[in-house]
Amino acid sequence: MKNIFIMAAASALLLISCTKEVNLPLKTVPPTIVIEGNITNEKGPYTVLLRKTVDFNNKNTYPPVEGATVTISDDAGSIDTLTETSPGVYQTATLVGTPGRTYTLNMLAEGKSYNATSTMPQPVVLDNVKFELFTSKGDSGKPEYSALPEFTDPANVANTYRFIMRVNDTLNTEYFVLNDNTFNGQKNEYILFDPGAEINAGDTVELEFRCTDRNNYLYFFTLSQFNSDGPYNTTPTNPPSNIKGDPAYGIFSAHTVQRKTTVVTP
Amino acid sequence: MHKIALNLLLLCCTTLSLAQSRFTVNGTVTDKKNGETMIGATVYALGNASGTATNAYGFYSLTLPAGTHQLVFRMVGYQNDTVTINLTANVKLNHALADNSTALTEVVVTSKKDNDNIREARIGVEKLTPASVAKIPVIFGEKDIIKTIQLLPGVKSAGEGGAGFFVRGGAADQNLILLDEAPVYNASHLLGFFSTFNSDALKDVTLIKGNSPAQYGGRLSSVLDVKMKDGSNQKFNGSAGIGLISSRASFEGPIAKDRGSFIISARRTYVDMFLKLSEEDKDNKLYFYDLNAKASYRINDKNRIFFSGYMGQDVLGFGKTFLVDWGNRTATLRWNYEISPKLFSNTSFIYSNYNYKMNFGSTSKTTELRSKIQDVNLKEEMTWYLNTKNTIKFGFNVIKHNLIPTRTTTGNTVTGNKKGRSAYENALFVNRTWLVTDRLTIDHGVRFSFYTLLGGDTYRMYNNGIQTDSVVLASGKTGKTYINPEPRVQFNYTINDVSAIKGGYARNSQHLHLLSNSTSSSPTDQWFGDSYNVKPEVSDQFSLGYSRNFNNSKYQTSVEVYYKDMKNQIDYKDGADINTSRDVESELLFGKGRAYGAEFLVKKTQGRFTGWVGYTLSKTERQINGINNNRWYNARQDRTHDISVVGVYDLSAKWSLSGLFVYGTGNPVTYPKGKYQIGDKSVFIYTDRNGDRLPAYHRMDLGATYTKKTKRGREVSWNFSLYNAYGRANAYTTIFEDHETDKSRTVIKQTSLFRFVPSVTYNFKF
Repeated sequence: MKNIFIMAAASALLLISCTKEVNLPLKTVPPTIVIEGNITNEKGPYTVLLRKTVDFNNKNTYPPVEGATVTISDDAGSIDTLTETSPGVYQTATLVGTPGRTYTLNMLAEGKSYNATSTMPQPVVLDNVKFELFTSKGDSGKPEYSALPEFTDPANVANTYRFIMRVNDTLNTEYFVLNDNTFNGQKNEYILFDPGAEINAGDTVELEFRCTDRNNYLYFFTLSQFNSDGPYNTTPTNPPSNIKGDPAYGIFSAHTVQRKTTVVTP
Repeated sequence: MHKIALNLLLLCCTTLSLAQSRFTVNGTVTDKKNGETMIGATVYALGNASGTATNAYGFYSLTLPAGTHQLVFRMVGYQNDTVTINLTANVKLNHALADNSTALTEVVVTSKKDNDNIREARIGVEKLTPASVAKIPVIFGEKDIIKTIQLLPGVKSAGEGGAGFFVRGGAADQNLILLDEAPVYNASHLLGFFSTFNSDALKDVTLIKGNSPAQYGGRLSSVLDVKMKDGSNQKFNGSAGIGLISSRASFEGPIAKDRGSFIISARRTYVDMFLKLSEEDKDNKLYFYDLNAKASYRINDKNRIFFSGYMGQDVLGFGKTFLVDWGNRTATLRWNYEISPKLFSNTSFIYSNYNYKMNFGSTSKTTELRSKIQDVNLKEEMTWYLNTKNTIKFGFNVIKHNLIPTRTTTGNTVTGNKKGRSAYENALFVNRTWLVTDRLTIDHGVRFSFYTLLGGDTYRMYNNGIQTDSVVLASGKTGKTYINPEPRVQFNYTINDVSAIKGGYARNSQHLHLLSNSTSSSPTDQWFGDSYNVKPEVSDQFSLGYSRNFNNSKYQTSVEVYYKDMKNQIDYKDGADINTSRDVESELLFGKGRAYGAEFLVKKTQGRFTGWVGYTLSKTERQINGINNNRWYNARQDRTHDISVVGVYDLSAKWSLSGLFVYGTGNPVTYPKGKYQIGDKSVFIYTDRNGDRLPAYHRMDLGATYTKKTKRGREVSWNFSLYNAYGRANAYTTIFEDHETDKSRTVIKQTSLFRFVPSVTYNFKF
């Protein structure tokens, strides 16, 4: 929530600042494997993406890791061996994502082994997405709104949530994460705060609501701390990954998904 | 018990003075024009080695052999006075000095050279008066003593325009900032572009860079001791200034002529008035105001009381859904009591409060975050002018802290069951200033600090963020007490009239810590006391210096070197959740720090051209397990080179020109080296904390002041300034992100603030 202060402060400073694109001679890193695996309560197949890191000053083209052996097992005894459907893209065949199950990813790639586990929490129902007036005249010159996801947090467990927002089919670049430390067992009242979102009346907002486990929350919470601007910026670090074994980046996540598409009305 | 001790002391004094047939002359030195007491005015007898300086209340006491003496009163910026006295008994001698502006000629022949900086200065001490910095250009034309302090060697600005500062490698929270003895917990306004100190209300500012005498304590790096004006006890008068984004006004006068005075100063910015003009920003709020007030009254020759108060508030609102406000409040009630001509007592009751509140959410339901620190403080300080060779200061300090951690309220429910914590921070101190010989002065003492946790909360202990134990402290119970002895010693050896060697060692401990996970402090950072996990921070500083004056003390030069070792330094672990975690202590890591450097200063204090050149070469590092793979890394305040050049030229009686130039190595930053992709967004890879640097920072500011007297003798002045005169685009932040539309690449964006900021301020007196 410090973020909110930062974003507001940064916006105030924008009045007197000037920004330009620059080139910096940055240090480099050896290419390292990146694992991105998602299991959801939606219909399979589920995908594990294996790619390599690149240096910052390179294009966003990530070399795929081919020919890996990837399996996902659950705590009920099922095991699924994934098939590489295109370079670096591995898909499940039989697995059915079920809330409450713990999933274990095991893989062998280029002679190195990796593993990760994640537990899919029970889903929480997103009742509605409400839009609150954010400012009566924003940068767009029109009234702007903030999304308020309405749901009731279950009291008996520690819940963590993540939201992925698309406005008129464009992905919002902020990381929206929440934990229930301050509203355990109550209705959520936190808006998805992003002064740059520029949501106007008539826009179509698609919200993907994820119930995640703690490790996934921490990963995206850490990222959410750095994507801001100004002197109040947190010193950036690598987010804590749940991938064990040889050095790797990325995240393996079992989470529930609910989507809601809403047209913004004042 | 107290009375007996006092009587013993009194007896002791009397015995001593009788035995040596010496008598004491004491009194208060004031400014003739307005009755303001003078801090640090020197008083000495001609032809006699002994001399003294007035204390923070203008009081002096000098013991001399019986007979006739010529007593000299001196103060920079004032005319020297010599008073002949015949000592046959203890004498009370109050004296008022006239300032130089009333002198008929520019040339004042002094029988003594202007070399106080050689004879008296302590190591690592910088003194400033608002008048001495009035002509130095500043951003928005708002003269600001903290900005000027940042131009001195060993002191670094925390960021562009920022009011935060770092002293000798210490963090911003390691500066003890006192306003009439009351700690100010957040000394910045408006995101740090202004300090909380309104120069109009100030009398004297002293910065002690780590080697403070024993009466000060509680922070590792420095003491910034700010003293407010008492107000004129002669006549009513006022002054005001109108600037582009802020205005201020002061009014002062006698409560009772010669006995009592008051001053009241207020300031407000009106950036938001401009915001209102634009449709787009009309929902935004951005302003601050502050108010200083002080009253003093001399009850009789031996007793004087003072009351000072400060309040300031900042408001930053964004749209209809976000509002943050924060502010400090301080109040000090002081009682000066002259127990005997040789024993001066000051008793202070101090209240200090800092709080912030942040509201956000919808217009119907809001979430509120708030945090507060509140102190009640009793301080007793005795100065005992034992004899010509020894002055002893001793006393105690009792502070009750009440710290309320960040709490979240949604609707009507308070969530996150964090309780407020309270603690006692007590101290005992004694300090002796010993004139060993004519040339050697030794100042030594010890401070014992005691920090006692008070009941009312559960204290948990953690190892790597995992709870290992807990202590439930019931209300009314006391918990752990940390006791820190802090020995301090320093010396000044005068080699000759123009040069001296100084040195010192000091241990400082700190029981309150500002938890911040960002590169510069924000109003939402929270103060946190010692606990079972959080141990007192401790520093040991060694410093050595040499001063030399040239050309009849027109040029003063000095070099100082220091080494500082810091223990129990605190930082958040990577990705810490600082606002919603159930116990913020689980998010902390502890380690150590070291800082060393050399500071050079060349100063010209007389003539039409005055100014200084300062240069600092330094290194500051931290080592905290859990950060940077447990290796040493550059602290965020590490800056290898720092240069500042300040000059003021009096062109004529009416015009004066000024300029300053600063250059500093870029701040350490952490840049990404590689990247990968998760969920259609790029994620960056970092390897070394603070392993990169921003480009070097440099800037030149220019100013001009036009002063004239109106027909009725009132002074008016126009102050023009141009900040960042050659428009250097200094990197304020560097952002790494995906390109907005071209998803195939990432971009680096550099933001800079403040290029060519002109300002004009009109000041007048009435």
